[in-house]
This record gives sequence, structure tokens and C-alpha cells, in this order.
Amino acid sequence: MPLLLPILLALACAPLAYVAGRWRPGAAAWMGALGALAALGALVYEWTQETTRLVFPWAPSWGLSLEFTRDGLSGLYASMALTIGALVVLYSRAYMPHHLAEEQRPPGDEVRFQGLILAFMAAMVLLVTVDDLLLLFVALDLTTIISYLLIGFDREDPESRAAALLSLVLTGATSVVFFAGAMTLGLQYGTFSLPLVFERAAQSPASTGALVCLAVGALGKSAQVPFHFWLPRAMAAPTPVSSYLHSAAMVAAGVFLLQRLYPLFAPATDVRHGLLVIGFVSMGMGSLMALVADPFKRVLAYSTIAQYGYALVLVALGSEGAPLYVAAHAPCKAALFLTAGAVTQVTGKKKLSEVGGLRHALPVLAGASAIAAAGLSALPLTVGFFKDEVFFHALAKEGPAFMAAGVVGAGLTLAYTLRLWWGLFGGPRPSAPAAPAAPPLLVAPVVVLAASILLGGVLPGLLVTPARAAAETMRGEPSTLELAYHLDARAENLLAVGAWGLGALLFATRNAWTPALSRVLNAASHVGAERGYRLLLLQLDRLSTWLHEKEVRDLRDRVASVLVPTGLLGLTVLGVTPLRDRFTVGTVGPADVTLVMALAFASAAALATLRAKGHLRLVLLISCVGFSLAMVFAFAAAPDVALTSVLVETIFTLLFAGLLALLPRERLKLAQDEAQNPRGRDRLAGAVAGASAFLLSWSALSHLHVDRVGAQTVRLAKAAHSPNVVAAVLTDFRGLDTVGEMTVVVAALLGVTSLLSLNLSRKGKKQ
Amino acid sequence: MISFVPPLSRLLLWPSLIIALALWLKGGASVGGGFPAGALAGLAVLLQYVTAGRDQTRRFVAVRYAAPLAGVGLLLVVGTAFLPVLAGYAPMSLFPRPDQQELGVGGLHLHTALIFEGGLMLIVFGLVVTVIDRFALRTDSDAEEEAGP
Repeated sequence: MPLLLPILLALACAPLAYVAGRWRPGAAAWMGALGALAALGALVYEWTQETTRLVFPWAPSWGLSLEFTRDGLSGLYASMALTIGALVVLYSRAYMPHHLAEEQRPPGDEVRFQGLILAFMAAMVLLVTVDDLLLLFVALDLTTIISYLLIGFDREDPESRAAALLSLVLTGATSVVFFAGAMTLGLQYGTFSLPLVFERAAQSPASTGALVCLAVGALGKSAQVPFHFWLPRAMAAPTPVSSYLHSAAMVAAGVFLLQRLYPLFAPATDVRHGLLVIGFVSMGMGSLMALVADPFKRVLAYSTIAQYGYALVLVALGSEGAPLYVAAHAPCKAALFLTAGAVTQVTGKKKLSEVGGLRHALPVLAGASAIAAAGLSALPLTVGFFKDEVFFHALAKEGPAFMAAGVVGAGLTLAYTLRLWWGLFGGPRPSAPAAPAAPPLLVAPVVVLAASILLGGVLPGLLVTPARAAAETMRGEPSTLELAYHLDARAENLLAVGAWGLGALLFATRNAWTPALSRVLNAASHVGAERGYRLLLLQLDRLSTWLHEKEVRDLRDRVASVLVPTGLLGLTVLGVTPLRDRFTVGTVGPADVTLVMALAFASAAALATLRAKGHLRLVLLISCVGFSLAMVFAFAAAPDVALTSVLVETIFTLLFAGLLALLPRERLKLAQDEAQNPRGRDRLAGAVAGASAFLLSWSALSHLHVDRVGAQTVRLAKAAHSPNVVAAVLTDFRGLDTVGEMTVVVAALLGVTSLLSLNLSRKGKKQ
Repeated sequence: MISFVPPLSRLLLWPSLIIALALWLKGGASVGGGFPAGALAGLAVLLQYVTAGRDQTRRFVAVRYAAPLAGVGLLLVVGTAFLPVLAGYAPMSLFPRPDQQELGVGGLHLHTALIFEGGLMLIVFGLVVTVIDRFALRTDSDAEEEAGP
């Protein structure tokens, strides 16, 4: 059970924070942070225990179970999510009151925000701890849904809402693709449990289609090309959201999935080559965009795209440094996001061109964020140095072209990070009156993160064990990852020095190339993936409008739009299924006279509806058909069906008559006129639907397997303690169908209730 | 002339409800079941709406809370179907299982199918009564509208 303790504690954080927030809004954040730290403690405690897996069967007949694991990957990612989650929640205590006041919302909404952040944290911990394909998908969608609520937290702001919807559509759609891949694997291997899947995949590799589906889900989450454009848009969210979701949590989830499922990808070199290309493209594109973006949160967003491109490259190369890369990047990026939020709160500005020289007003923040920036651009004595070391180590094995790409990527990183930090804090002291000092709680999380970045850089030995454990889980073989400073001319060091040189050069000459680059990127954005997405949405919207107009213009067309496709489908089925003696005519004996009479009566009533004048008469004729059929059932020794149809027909007739009283008289007259003068296409639609129904019924009745179905059912009904065969079929044999039908009935009930009340209230308003 | 229909329909209410109850309880063994039981009970209420009017009929608690009753019915149906899953059975496992002994006296046998059928009955009853009630409400308000100045 200790295995579940961190998850349970993480899940408890949001409700606990809510309760604390009811007592006093300021207490919610502290309660949440405390809960997150407790979960972190439980995680550490769990590592001292023996158990590494926990399986709860929950639907054994379907082969489904809830499986949790404790391994290197889950430990690394869960501790990352919990630590940064706790810091971000504390930061939001200082950030949100100001933000809410600007948005003119009640201060109590702060608790809701913190609850959502903590719920996201719990979803993330769940995602990294589960060991089952289906649960992975469930946790993935949980993070998607909560991120929708978080990104759209400023619900009055249309831009926020649009950004939230965009991220929901993109990450939701890609996670459905992931689900398709997971289902394919589950069906291929007969299990959803990951260890079993890996074991069976070792014998028969997973299909490429399934792997591509899984990869698409991961790429969407990690904001990689071509799904990258939701991330910069999502910067409309409050800064704590960006700093958590878009550095350590949501985007990390995509790369995490690839690492978790790496044993499946290992043999599929084609898929991995594709991922490699996508990683390099994301890296280059994100870095270039970050070099010219003006709002500082956007710089960070593009940088995130680029950095997860690095991580993707590492996964695609199968490098054992991939988990370490994500873990080293997260605190740096989170600290920079938090810095951006603090700057915005203090100065009220959001763009690099509007601020500068803030090192005088915010010295502590400037120092802490300088460490974070150094970490992001992989300078020595920070943990970031090792993320680039493992990166270069992986590339050095691949050849000079890869090394060159790596140097350019890392150089660009240094250039845009310098540009960001210098834009915020460097430059001349602003002539405007000095900005007020930032609240301590707004700066403290950045300082804590900076301290951890320094600690990891000075004592890299601390990181070796968790990084090796994660690499072992990912690759399924012992890891020999080394983290240390080497003062010699090995390839990694040369590449790093080259990257720093390139970055410094780019930064020094930035005024020369920035305008040209931003023009090129602007032109390129007209043909990018975002434009394709917009066009697709527009066309889908048009198609749906067109269909809708076709359908609702005329009641008869609407009926035909249901009947004709159904009829055609039925006829097609008859056409393609070869059946001998498809249409047989049975014999009619003297005992069947009553049956034939009842049927004749039903047919006569049905034919009479064609010429009926007035709706009430029509209703009575239709119920005549129903009652005659009930009679047929009674004669055919089916008293249950007969009883039910008599009751249903009675209710139907009365309700229909009641409904007629509600409809406007002119409408009824119009419909009557229409029905009396059918158009050519109405006749055709009726013919198709009628012919299909007639032929299908005839064919079905020609192939009754009385012995097989009837006798078997009667025998089984006795065994099921239900001598009434109809009841046994309804409740036992086809019980699930009944459940589904009843759900539909209740849905119809809800629809009727709300539609009729809606009309009534509208009428009330008119008066 | 005083019509004989209203007093007769009032007399018929309780017997029809008892027959509906019987249809439900005997459904496993002979003709009946939850669906016709709910429909019959709904019809009995419909008759009251027609003869006694909406206000008179809504004195009965079950009529006022017909829609929530349908919700309770759905819970019963879904619960009977899926609670066995928690105990490791296939969904829609009914108890006693085919190989187990049945409990019961005379025509009444205790079986989880009864709960399931009870759920069906409540759903059908709730649907019929709610729709009738909405229709009656609409016709009443229309009548008022026409009668108004």
C-alpha cells in the first residue's frame, strides 16, 4: 500500500486546499504546498520499501486492472511535479490577488485557481505512476481537461478562452490518437499491462501504425512540430499556469510517455528517425522564434518548444540522458516563467521592448533568474550544464552533422536566453520612477529553484542515482550514466565551448540580424501548421452548416435524411450477403386464420393512413396498426409482448393526441397539405425505406433457427431462475442492452423536460 | 347528467397500481415485468390527469417526483448491472447465480432481477408521468393565455 501513498496524498491536496480556503483564502496555498511536500516525503519513503508494483484487478472478466509502479521514471517525474507544484502554488498566493484585482474578479477565486493547480499536480503524479496503457490514457486526458480549465481561467478574456479551446482541441485530439494506438497494442498483445506488453513486444514488435499513433499523442502534448502552435497561444493563461504546465508538467507529459513506452519504440528505427527529424525541426523553429518574440512569456514558450525538441532528439536516439534532460530543464524554465510573472506584476508590462534595467529595482530576482538563465543555456556550475553534456554525448556518437546541429541549437539557446535576461534586467536604469519592490513570496520560489539549480551543478553526484534509475526504467538495461566535470578536450566539452561562442556572437550582433529574421519568420508563419489548422476548422464548420441547412429546411427532407441512408444500408447488406433460400414463403394452415385476419387488419389500417385527413385520424389509424399487431402477438402465443404493446399503444395514442393539442393549428394544416401532395423525391424516399424494411424483415423471417435459439433460450431461462423467457432475455441474457436502452429513455426524458420547460419560459418572457 | 367516468376512474386508480405491482413482482415467473408495470402505472396516472386535472393528481408524491424517480430507476438498473463487477463477476451477473439455491415463498422469488425490473418500472413510469405532466402544464397555460384579457 505505501506505493499508493504519494498518489493519495497528491489527490487529497486539492480538496484540503479547498477546505482551508473556505476557512481563510490565504490558507489554501499553504495547505496545498504542505500536501505536496507530504506527498514528496511519501515518495521518498516509498523508495525505501521493497514493493515496486501494485495491481488491483477491477474487471478481471475483461482483463482490466489498475496497475501502479514505482520505478526510476515515476520517481523522477513525480518528484519534479510535486516540488515545482508546491513552489508554484505558493507563488500563486502572491500572484493571484493582484491578477484577480486586475481582472475585477472576487479574491475568493484564488482558492479555485490553487485547487485546479493542485488537481493538475495530482493528475500528473497519477500519469507518471500508472503502469497500464488505458490508465495512461485516462490520466493523460485528466491533465488535458484540467489544463483547459487552467488556461481559460480568465474566462472574461476572449483570448484566454480561445487559447484554452485550442489547447483542448489539439491535445485532446492527439490523445484520442494515442488511445487508438493503445487499443491497437492492447488488442495485439491481449493485455494493457505495460510490463506484459513490453515482454510480448520483445517477441513480436509492435506495428508501426500503433507506434505512430502513440507518438502523435506524445508530440501533441509536448507541443512539437506540427502541433506546436497551441503553446505560445496558451501564454494567455495566468503566469503560474504557464510556469507549471508549460515547463514541468503538461509538456513534459508527452516526452514522458515516449520514455515510458521506449521499449516499444526501441526496435522501430523508422519511427525513431521520424521523431528525430521532428525533434530537430522543433528545436530550430522554437529557437528562431524565441530569438525574435517580444512578449517575454512567448520567448519562454518558444524556448519550451525548442527544449522539448532536444528531449525528443535524445529519446529518438535512445540516449540514457533523456529523463535527466527533462528534469534539469524543468526548474530552469519554471524559474524563468516565475520571473516573467513577477516582472509583469511589478511593472505591468509584458513585452521585452517595454522593460529594461530592472536589476536595480529587483536585485534578488535578477540574481536568481540569472542562475536560472545560466541553467537553461547550460553554463557550468549549474545543473543545466549536464543536460547539454548528455545531449552532446548522444550526438557525438552519431557523427559530425549531428554535432553541428547540436552546436547551433545550443548556441541559439544561449543567444535567446541572454536576450531575454538582458532585455529584462540589463540595459540602462529606466528614467521612469523606480518600480515598487516585489513581494517576498513572489521572489522566494525563484530563489529556491535557483538554489536547487546551483546545488545540482556543484554536486552533480546527487543526480546520478535518480538519473540512472530513470534511464534504466526507460531502456530496460543497466545505465552507466556519468555526471562530472572533465577539464579536458573531449568532444562534449569542445561542442559546449563552441555553442557558447556561437551564442555570445549571436547575442553581440543581435541588432544586425533581428529585423531580417523577424521578417522571414513572419512570412513563414503564413504557411505554417497553425494556418492549416484554421483552414481545416473553417472548412469543417462550413460543411456542418451546409449539412444542417440541407437537413432542417424541410421536415420531409429531415425524415428522408434518416430513412434513405438507413434504407440504402439495408439494401446494400442484402446485396452483399450471399444467403441461400433468402426469401421463402411459408405455409398457411387453418389454425392461422385468426393470425392472418389480424395481419390483414393491420395492413388495411397502415394503407388507410395514406389517405387520412386530419392528424387525429392519422394517430388513431396508427394506433389501430399497433393494436392489431398486439393481437397478432397474442395469437402467436407471446402474451408478454402483446401485453406490453397494448400498454405502449395506449400511452402512445393518448400522448400523441395530447401533443396535437399543443401544436399550432396553422402548422398542422400546412403539414396536412404537404402530406396530401407528396413530391417526387418523397415518393422515392418512401419507396427506398419501405422496400428495404420489407425485404430485410422477409429475409430475417425466412431464416428463423427455431431449434437453435428457441430451445436453447428456454433451457437457459430455467437455469437462470426465470421461467418467463422474455423476462430472462431482457434482464439476464441481453441485460446490458436493456441498460443501454434505459439510459436512452432517461436521456429522452431529460430532453423532453428541458425542451418543454424552455418553450414555456420563453413564452413567459414574451408576456 | 353526471358522467360516471370520474368516479369510476378514481375507483380504478388503486387496483391498477396493485396490478402494476403484481406485474412487476411476478415478471420472472409469468407474464409481466418491469416495463409493462411501469407503463400500466403511468396509464393509471394519465387517467387521473384526464378526469381529475393536474392539480388534483399532483397531490400524490410519486407524481410530483416522477422525474427524480426515473433517475433512481436508472441508478438501480446501472447498479444491478455493474456492482457485481466490483466483486469480480462479469457485468450484468444476477444473483442467485444459476447454480445457487433460490430463496422465496410461493410465487415470489428473491432475485436481483427484481431490482433490475424495479428500475425499469420506475424509469418507464417517470417518463410517462413527466411527459403527461408537461403536456398538461402546457395546455393549462395555453388555456389561461386564451382566457386572459
